[in-house]
Amino acid sequence: MTVSSSSREAILAAIRMGTATTAKEAGWLHEAYQGLPRTYHHAGSLESEACLSLLVERLREYGAEIAETTPQALPDAIAAQLASTGKRRFAAPAALSSDWLAPGFEWHVDNDLPTDEIEHCEGVLTGAAAAIADSGTIVLHHGPQEGRRLLTLLPDIHVCVLLASQVVETLPEYFRQCIAPPELVTWISGPSATADIEMTRIKGVHGPRSLHVILVHDN
Amino acid sequence: MRASLFITCYNDTLYPETGRAVVALLERLGVEVSFEPRQTCCGQMHANTGFRPEAFSQARRFVNLYREVEHVVIPSSSCVAMMREQYPTIFDELGDEILRREFLALIPRVYELSEFLVDRLQALDVGAYFPHRVAYHASCHGLRQLELGDRPYRLLAKVRGMELAPLANSDRCCGFGGTFSVKNAEVSSAMLTTKLEDVLATRAEYLTGLDNSCLMHLGGAMHRQYAGMTTIHMAQILAATADSPAEAMA
Amino acid sequence: MTTAQPHAELDPRFAPPFPQAALTVLRNPQLRRNVAHAVDIIQAKRGRLVAEKDDWQQLRSAASAIRSHVLESLGAYLEEFEVRCTAAGGIVHWATDGEEARRIILDILRQEQASEVIKIKTMTSAEIQLNPFLESNGVRVHETDLAEIILQLGEEPPSHIVVPALHVNRSQVREIFARKMGLPELSDDPQILTAAARRYLREKFLTIPTAIGGANYLIAETGSVAVVESEGNGRMCLTLPRTLITLAGIEKVLPRFDDLEVFLQLLARSATGERMNPYTSLWTGTVKGDGPERFHVVLLDNGRSRILRRPVERQTLKCIRCAACMNSCPVYRQTGGHAYGSVYPGPIGAILTPQLQQLQHAQSLPFASSLCGACYEVCPVKINIPEVLLELRSQVTRQERSQARRFFDPLYLGLRLANFLFASPRRFHLAQRLGRIGARLFTRKDGWIHSLPSVGGKWTLTRDLRGLPDETFHEWWANRKKEAR
Repeated sequence: MTVSSSSREAILAAIRMGTATTAKEAGWLHEAYQGLPRTYHHAGSLESEACLSLLVERLREYGAEIAETTPQALPDAIAAQLASTGKRRFAAPAALSSDWLAPGFEWHVDNDLPTDEIEHCEGVLTGAAAAIADSGTIVLHHGPQEGRRLLTLLPDIHVCVLLASQVVETLPEYFRQCIAPPELVTWISGPSATADIEMTRIKGVHGPRSLHVILVHDN
Repeated sequence: MRASLFITCYNDTLYPETGRAVVALLERLGVEVSFEPRQTCCGQMHANTGFRPEAFSQARRFVNLYREVEHVVIPSSSCVAMMREQYPTIFDELGDEILRREFLALIPRVYELSEFLVDRLQALDVGAYFPHRVAYHASCHGLRQLELGDRPYRLLAKVRGMELAPLANSDRCCGFGGTFSVKNAEVSSAMLTTKLEDVLATRAEYLTGLDNSCLMHLGGAMHRQYAGMTTIHMAQILAATADSPAEAMA
Repeated sequence: MTTAQPHAELDPRFAPPFPQAALTVLRNPQLRRNVAHAVDIIQAKRGRLVAEKDDWQQLRSAASAIRSHVLESLGAYLEEFEVRCTAAGGIVHWATDGEEARRIILDILRQEQASEVIKIKTMTSAEIQLNPFLESNGVRVHETDLAEIILQLGEEPPSHIVVPALHVNRSQVREIFARKMGLPELSDDPQILTAAARRYLREKFLTIPTAIGGANYLIAETGSVAVVESEGNGRMCLTLPRTLITLAGIEKVLPRFDDLEVFLQLLARSATGERMNPYTSLWTGTVKGDGPERFHVVLLDNGRSRILRRPVERQTLKCIRCAACMNSCPVYRQTGGHAYGSVYPGPIGAILTPQLQQLQHAQSLPFASSLCGACYEVCPVKINIPEVLLELRSQVTRQERSQARRFFDPLYLGLRLANFLFASPRRFHLAQRLGRIGARLFTRKDGWIHSLPSVGGKWTLTRDLRGLPDETFHEWWANRKKEAR
């Protein structure tokens, strides 16, 4: 028995002295959990168009660029956004559709790219898992369309393709639509910021300083 | 309508004019006021300083003296808060079941002054005349524990001749805090200075409130600093009429 | 193994009592101005966002209920977390106290042959004084939060749990960075200062393979960990290194992933006055091809299981470390965090620190409050801090009154005397009469008392006291009755 596991027993025993249940009483636990009061709003009240407008408003509030497009015009919209950055070297997850990888740019597709190479990319293009309008949050589950976490962390510009059908109004709705808890999640609600110096809000400490969202009206 | 006045230990000793004003006011409103001469203190000072056992006998005394009365009126939010918030636990711990039940039967009949006027007498216009510019200080106990809300403001709004000046940061504590004012006198004084900035900025002649404890602290500093403003308990404003103006303070 | 103590003023074992510590900071106008400026801003932002959220009170109720439920079943949820986290590739360690946690972490670092670590700010690591321990054992610790860098380079102790350097202003930061980063030309523009920090840290993120951080939430259902942040240094530390060590208090656990829908709505609004903080990260064990290959969780007790046994004080453990209490506290607004002599300042510190210290230290903290209740009003998990303060005051007094030196403490004597007097109306009335006579000694011509001895002198420090009236209320009443007959 390692030192740590006898500590484990000591801690659990100490906890038991102050509480009612143990792991064996799982049935009671479940019932008690289900009985907890949850009278907060479980859903929003906005129609989908108003919801999308709210998202756009929130994104603009924190300085993100937004372009709206249709599924047919998406590749052109991507090309336009990329061009507007004035940069050339972009990273992308391997599973992105090839018609998203606009010509005229230097693409670094992430087939196990070395960190250094990602660090030298000027931007990254990905999809998203969801968005929450109320807080202007983009949600990444880091699936094949979004790429591993450092892909959207190291480059300075993040161009994100978001489908209108992925947008919900409130946080509880986002959780409702997750079929199972994802292994990895990054909730992004603005560029990185600090208010540590005299409460003056400075953006872009670490992580991308620019976010471009391409909202695809797929409904 | 009958009411028994619980004057509180500090009002009895330091601010008897507040008690006189409560009597005059309630009698003018047709309430038969009685006074139990054996009352002393609610025990708050002890309970809040960690001397819980000492508060027990005072709680017990309160129930013994008032169990039969129709209403108890108290011109002090902190004392009422003590009874509503801490007496239940005290009576649980005392283990006297009969006394505990008597307390539970009594407590709904215990009122802070503005609660008695607004909720029980349904009197907003009490016939008061006080031709001065006044600011109102909401003590923390009244604000957060008793949730007096707009009762004091509604009463003050009906006082003839009176001008109510709005007070900035009105929900910020003045720094009295009972024994905190001496145990942490310096911090208490820093909070007092901050509060006084907002109070003096109202350019009022009087600062009023429902607790002489806070007013003693704020008024004490006003006097020390020759501030040109003074404090007065709201009972005295409400009791004041053209024929019998409020008793002179400092 | 020795442990250095660079910040004795934040070590409850050595810190001066609150009234004394407060005196020092009260005489520092710059610190007081910085603190008031900071908390006023956050409070205003929080107020606006709470006003727009019409289910705010329901969220608080749910959060409070969930946290109470977790505490009631803490063992079960911790065991579930351990099973899931382990199945997902994490290694879970249990530490009964700070010393054990430090040792576990050092052992991991030794196994990894790590001589340097990058660190995400975590209050829990400050609680166990991890940094000085690692430094004195040959491990260089690089803090990566901007505030923590400011404090680390400036050798300053933190004074707030969310904005730890709020007592430091821009020219002080400029001076620290210029000196420690070798940038003599640096301006004091916060934008430029932040850019300097970004460059300084980039190199560290990309080269140091071991990171230590904390957790805002542990999810029992999935074995996941969630970290809430603003700067992005968390994301860097959580994804770039090869080895990640997460230190978390045992009370940090939540039952299910979905429970985050409550806490993520409350936390940022309470902590920084935003609808949502810039980055929240959640990960589960180790994930192939994404992030650390080795992941350790160190679960820390350090007195929490003992607090759990106390019926009134247990609610202290509901805390989600948002700091709304200190942003709303009128006492904290005057003194900042250093006066509390602990890494946990403000209202939550006033109840948590003495309990973690088993009331052997920090006994003055429960009295560092006017009991105004503003903290309870804003606490997202409804911790009734005033209630816990009163309970702790009772315990401290019980402890102290048996000590000989306390017997003659003027305040204690005064309270004992008052109780004796209040027990009998006749005694009380006699004391009032005697007091009236005695007070005349101190009453000046203007009818006021300007100076009193002993405890009274603490009152007259800054306040006059009106002289005792010639007649008490009850005397007036008795006379009125007589006259009426």
